[in-house]
Amino acid sequence: MTACTAAHEAVPPVLPIPLAADLQDHLRAAGLDLERLQRLLADTCDTLLARFHATLAALEPLAEAAAGTDGRATAREAMRQLALAVTALQFQDLSSQLIAHTSARLHNCADQIASAAFGIDEDGEAVVAPLPERPNPVTQDEMDAGSIELF
Amino acid sequence: MHSILAVDDSASMRQMLSFTLKSAGYQVVEAVDGQDAWDKAGLHSFDLVLTDQNMPHLDGIGLTRKLREHPQFKQTPILILTTESSDQMKQAGRAAGATGWLVKPFDPVRLVEVIQKVIR
Repeated sequence: MTACTAAHEAVPPVLPIPLAADLQDHLRAAGLDLERLQRLLADTCDTLLARFHATLAALEPLAEAAAGTDGRATAREAMRQLALAVTALQFQDLSSQLIAHTSARLHNCADQIASAAFGIDEDGEAVVAPLPERPNPVTQDEMDAGSIELF
Repeated sequence: MHSILAVDDSASMRQMLSFTLKSAGYQVVEAVDGQDAWDKAGLHSFDLVLTDQNMPHLDGIGLTRKLREHPQFKQTPILILTTESSDQMKQAGRAAGATGWLVKPFDPVRLVEVIQKVIR
């Protein structure tokens, strides 16, 4: 206990408390917005996938019914084009990883600001959320298909 | 019919992989992470494993390493499909015994071509 108090006294705040509180509020708001964005993207992706499967299911009997006519080729081409949308539909997987990584960094920033402004807490430790262990795994900035390497 | 174990912690990715692979005539078993895949690998035999890298409990490289230690999966093609594109990660995947490294997003036509090429 004595050691904790000594440590607390030895580390004076390096940020004015009102400024730290303000910065923390902004970071927390940004974090909450990112969580909401995550939910919006997930919901959008679920809806798009449901419509995607429903459209394919509707096209299949059309193609069968149009057997022997130009309509069959048209319906098959529509199904093929729709299936190619699978590449773009992966946006939610990439964006959710990007958001999770950015959220972790924001959380770490908010905790570091608190630690710098308020010092150690009552238990003698400043709880700082860890930074992600590795760089952001998502480096893509477009939805073109990625590379393939066989070993 | 060839059987593929598709592993990804993203439900939407599993849906798209299943759709693509089933449309190409493959039988697909889904797993939600590396541990789930490892459990299923003990119950079924697969002609190919297609796995994500970043997953809770057990990642793709860890899964590959475990599968390669299993006699049943010594020769089974294992493809890692991931957002990770760094050479360091690719080399780690190769060292673990992966057959190939595919960076997301995947193109359904190219994915099936690669699978046809490596599957036996």
